[in-house]
Amino acid sequence: MSLDPRTTLAQQDEPPRPAAPGKKWVKSVRVQNGIDTEVWEEVDIDSGASGPSWGARKDLRLLNHDLPRVDAPDKVTGRAVYTHDVRVPGMAFAQVLRCPHPWAKIVRIDLEPAKKLPGVLGAVVLESEEVKWVGRPVVAVAADTPEHAEDGVRAVVVEYEVQRFAITPAQSQAPDAPKIAGNRDNVRVHETEGELADAEKALAECDAVVEGTWRVPVQHHACLETHGVVVDYRGGDSATVYASTQGTFTINSDAARKLKLKGSQVVAVVEHMGGGFGGKFGMGLEGDAACKLSLELKRPVHMLFDRASEFLAAGNRAGGVHVLKAGAKKSGELHAFIANVERHGGVGGGSNQKQPYIYRPATSHTQVKSVLTNTDSSRAMRAPGHPQMSFAMEGLMDDLAYAIGMDPLEFRIRNVPDNRRTDYERQLRQCAELIGWNSHPHRTAPNRSNDELKVGIGFALSTWGGGGGPECKVEVRLLPDGSVEVLSGTQDLGTGTRTYVAAIVAEELGLELNQVTARIGRSSYGAANASGGSTTTASLAPAVKHAAWNARKALFQHVGTLLGVKPENLRIAGGRIEDSTNPESNWIGFKDACAAVGGQGISAQGEWQRELASNGVGGAQAAKVQVDTLTGEIQVLHMVGVQDCGLVMNRIATRSQLNGGMIQALSYGLFEERVVDPDLGIVLNANFEDYKIAGCKEIGLMQPVLDDGDERNGVIGMSEPAVVPGQSAIANAIMNACGARLREMPLTCDKLLMALRGAKRG
Amino acid sequence: MKSFELVQPATLEAALETLPAARDTKARDSVKLLAGGQDLLGELKEHLVAPDTLVNLKRIPGLDRIEHGADGSLTLGALVTLARIENERAIRERFTLLAEAAGAVASVQIRNQGTLGGNLCQRPRCWYYRHEQAVCIKKGGSECFAYGGLNKYNAILGGGPSYIVHPSDVAPALVALDAQAVIRGKRGERRVPLEQFFTLPSEGSVLRENVLTSEEILTHIVVPAPGAGSWRSTYLKFRERGSYDFALSAVALRLSLDAGKVREARLVLGAVAPIPWRCEKAETALVGRKLDAETCEFISRLALEGAEPLEHNGYKIPLTQGMITKALRKLAN
Amino acid sequence: MSDPQSTPGAQGAERNVFSRRSLFRGAGAFAAGGLVADAARAAATPTSTRLAGVVELELEINGAKQKVSVEPRTTLLNALRNHCTPPLTGAKVVCDRGSCGACTVHLDGQPVYSCMTLAADAVGRKVTTVEGLAKEGELTEVQRALCEHDGSMCGFCTPGFVMSITACLERKPGATLDEIKHACAGNLCRCGTYPHVFEAALAAGRALRAKGGK
Ligand SMILES: Cc1cc2nc3c(=O)[nH]c(=O)nc-3n(C[C@H](O)[C@H](O)[C@H](O)COP(=O)(O)OP(=O)(O)OC[C@H]3O[C@@H](n4cnc5c(N)ncnc54)[C@H](O)[C@@H]3O)c2cc1C
Ligand code: FES
Ligand code: FES
Repeated sequence: MSLDPRTTLAQQDEPPRPAAPGKKWVKSVRVQNGIDTEVWEEVDIDSGASGPSWGARKDLRLLNHDLPRVDAPDKVTGRAVYTHDVRVPGMAFAQVLRCPHPWAKIVRIDLEPAKKLPGVLGAVVLESEEVKWVGRPVVAVAADTPEHAEDGVRAVVVEYEVQRFAITPAQSQAPDAPKIAGNRDNVRVHETEGELADAEKALAECDAVVEGTWRVPVQHHACLETHGVVVDYRGGDSATVYASTQGTFTINSDAARKLKLKGSQVVAVVEHMGGGFGGKFGMGLEGDAACKLSLELKRPVHMLFDRASEFLAAGNRAGGVHVLKAGAKKSGELHAFIANVERHGGVGGGSNQKQPYIYRPATSHTQVKSVLTNTDSSRAMRAPGHPQMSFAMEGLMDDLAYAIGMDPLEFRIRNVPDNRRTDYERQLRQCAELIGWNSHPHRTAPNRSNDELKVGIGFALSTWGGGGGPECKVEVRLLPDGSVEVLSGTQDLGTGTRTYVAAIVAEELGLELNQVTARIGRSSYGAANASGGSTTTASLAPAVKHAAWNARKALFQHVGTLLGVKPENLRIAGGRIEDSTNPESNWIGFKDACAAVGGQGISAQGEWQRELASNGVGGAQAAKVQVDTLTGEIQVLHMVGVQDCGLVMNRIATRSQLNGGMIQALSYGLFEERVVDPDLGIVLNANFEDYKIAGCKEIGLMQPVLDDGDERNGVIGMSEPAVVPGQSAIANAIMNACGARLREMPLTCDKLLMALRGAKRG
Repeated sequence: MKSFELVQPATLEAALETLPAARDTKARDSVKLLAGGQDLLGELKEHLVAPDTLVNLKRIPGLDRIEHGADGSLTLGALVTLARIENERAIRERFTLLAEAAGAVASVQIRNQGTLGGNLCQRPRCWYYRHEQAVCIKKGGSECFAYGGLNKYNAILGGGPSYIVHPSDVAPALVALDAQAVIRGKRGERRVPLEQFFTLPSEGSVLRENVLTSEEILTHIVVPAPGAGSWRSTYLKFRERGSYDFALSAVALRLSLDAGKVREARLVLGAVAPIPWRCEKAETALVGRKLDAETCEFISRLALEGAEPLEHNGYKIPLTQGMITKALRKLAN
Repeated sequence: MSDPQSTPGAQGAERNVFSRRSLFRGAGAFAAGGLVADAARAAATPTSTRLAGVVELELEINGAKQKVSVEPRTTLLNALRNHCTPPLTGAKVVCDRGSCGACTVHLDGQPVYSCMTLAADAVGRKVTTVEGLAKEGELTEVQRALCEHDGSMCGFCTPGFVMSITACLERKPGATLDEIKHACAGNLCRCGTYPHVFEAALAAGRALRAKGGK
């Protein structure tokens, strides 16, 4: 049996039992540990029938168009206040002292030398017993300036008893390796699926068999705004916590506990935030430090990780090793598949990585284990597990296609799950068209010419859930002066949440975008889910729509009485509400209507509407790469991403997301890798100079295409799938260009040169 | 960054007065010269050095002058910024590889502040050296951690006991131009051919990369007139990341041609050795040759003769050979 | 917003002064104790200035002079963010090592990393930050184009890009795509907004040319 979540769907195509009277079964997506699974749910038959609907795409004025972000002017002028930028009276700046050892017992901590220094206001211990990875914060110091905080941190004395450690998976699997998690083994087998004997038998039936070991390094989120909070607590019974977080509501109760307050006494604020990518939920170690200091000092504390702490102590994308062996029939059938997957999640188990990814072998056997090491634990990172799985699986797919002399594009289409073939095929063919595959001379075998500069093309697919759930409460207010605000505690990570929240309301009320003010990022507003797993939009947008729809209905009640028209005969457009049977003479301006309501105006609530959301996204990406066989230089000339995403809220922002996903994947593929010295245990590149991410010159022609062939009229998240396939497409393009299969990321010139030399010699 | 006192001398003499005597090993590291600060501030922030005093050279008049001598020579003050070298037309035209090398350094922002002197005197980028906890041989420890460690970016030539590579882009270009360093000390001025300015870890002090003592200041670089013949030159740099990056390998090539054949040549490699690596054998072998495919093949092999890669940097040999070939081809056209 | 200086503590001015002085005894004419580092004055006299402890510097930021109390080690970036009134937090602390560009400001019109510049070194020079570009609330062409072309996602890198592009187009409104990439090569964006940033920069260049730039 296959492990892809979508298989579960394919194999449970039928609901578990007949629906109860008045009920029906619908599929919805649940994201667990970053892996989307689809479940059957029983719901009322008429749910949503009389509720709001997005309407026909052609009728939309704002949604599904290019909308300028409402907060863009603040961002381009430096006015936007991020957590880093919060300055409140009496605020102290804090920094942490990190443990320099991969594993050590703490014998003694002396804070006094720090406390005596000029400017130092206080110091607290964060960990007093044991540290199992380099960089774990041990002490935090607050001072009047960041410079003095640093002095304080360096003055603290910590005595360690250094322990034997294991940095590499090989070290940790050695017979005498220290046991990292108590008495538990360093290696844990998570799952074994399918019979090995069956898979081996099937392999023997194949026309071609290929195998390889794919290695993926540990990647960092590398958000430009580091993890951090400003805890504004001055004693008393209330606090405001500004946080760089993906979940406003993951902050307040967590902070309250740490501040010994009630959840209701803490307000979390996330006005703007500088990137999360899956790594920013809850208060974290930095929040812990800030709360402890703030409690002790009874003054606001600004605790933002410096860049080294961010690299060392703020999580990462798990690494892994995927040993794959598979066979295909000449017909193009992926017939047999054997995978041994190792997850490298540091002191944690690492994110889900399974095989086979997306494609559907006839017979397969997979074993997944995790190997613990003395390194910082991995955290969720944009599509956890998927890019890793994709890199190995998509490489294997190309190798197999070439082995049977088939176009890798056709081989893919042949082996995707049946229920998704139409979508994937449409997307792949569009990629092929745009990237120039159809006229590319090397479609069934890599280019093995002796040319110095060689160009190749590669493809890869993605899958994700992106569905939403009933998690958001939204309020829309029509004030007597005709102004409109929409409130939700949700956060904008840079995806454009604030903008589409306003746009949905403006669309519903026939207003322009700038006539609606979106207030978000505050836990005193309506509850909202944390932004993980591309679930924000599909959870939030329906609730916003519902609130706006309710506000309009309430307004129509008033206006109906006023104009003597049945509310259902009213319509709203161009800033006025009119009698649809007599629009020319019987109407009222929106502003006058609001004034006529009287009192405090209208306040309407909204909740999630299943019919307004959808789920399950897929996409295809292609990369065109130029390889210089003389120097090993790899240049990505062109990338195309075709992504389905249901009803698009803001097209330009969605294209930005898709670009961003492709670029992060390019960066992951070409540059990114945490480097740890296996003997010294120290991280060698915890800075932005040595931990390289793609810059301007790495960006070739980028073509983000929103797949309008996807006609679902529900909202779906698409941030995660965008980041999944890029590096795999690039590796495949390198292979296509010159016949060198690089199975270890990052795909750098040293590996390519050595591979080309090997190929020449061999 | 540890707190320090910032001294801003208005004359070279006043600056020299602030410098501790070279033999005073204790005080030696207590004072550091500040030019553009693009390297030094990084060192301070990483606590690789923790001086009590910084001596700011930027307010000393005259050190930021560019002078074109009547004889065709070029004199550059140590405080001239890399951006000026990159953009000055006369330099671009007459000393092409120098402008190219300056333009290949880091980013616009760094070139706007980084100076020539600072670029030549910058400290190594080896990630062990740059890690406060790794007290390697460059920092007074006993071991080069890169030697048996993760040495992808380290030296394949001239290494031992330290295996750093010299990070400067400008240095190989200036060595290829036969430049001289003008150095002022408390007891006067000395001139050193730039090639001899840089020291191998096995020759000079392993703690330093050049002949400067702590009581000296690099004040000028003098580039002699190119001499007879039609000279052409180029600086080619290979970066892992194109946007900005230190070189994995770089080639400074300058030659004069006579009827399609090489009359004289300079070939200096960057990022493969602890100093700008001059390939004299290859330079000699180039003389009299046409710049054809065979020459490229022959010269690029010859230049890398004797290279001894470490565990992870064997690729630097074919890479550098490829870069030499590209440079030769470029100048052939 | 408050003045972070109102927090008590650390008046380190007195710290080390005597030991420092003795270290430099006889070291020529030092303008000892001169707290305001005034470049014009320093240039006019053949002496050296020395700054230690907490010093008051006069900076010219966005056209206005402002005194800040900082240490010699305080970077221009930290001076802007933590010592100015009101705080100028447009430039961001991201890498603090000259490798990301989020802290880019103009010094005498040239883009530099303010994290790699001592505040004391900005004395006597004109500092322009992202807050100082839009005059009377009117966005510049670069800012406007970035808004129109969706040139920021999280926006944390945006102030740095605004400064780099502005400097590039001031020199050359007709800058090509490659020239724009070159000018912004020292700015990193993790969200991957680059393609839209480039489009915006090209559009801004066109707008500036239409207005009569070079
Ligand atoms: C992110 C990043 C990327 C970089 N990339 C590159 C690159 O690609 N190529 C490259 O070549 N460099 C690179 N650099 C290194 C370097 O910062 C610049 O090259 C710059 O030229 C240094 O000059 P500066 O004036 O700022 O030096 P400073 O930092 O002021 O000084 C550097 C060192 O030289 C000493 N010094 C300075 N001037 C003198 C003098 N006149 N006499 C004696 N000693 C002196 C200082 O005491 C200090 O130890 C990079 C730096 C960073 C931060
Ligand atoms: S913060 Fe200054 S360059 Fe990154
Ligand atoms: S927009 Fe987020 S880092 Fe550039």
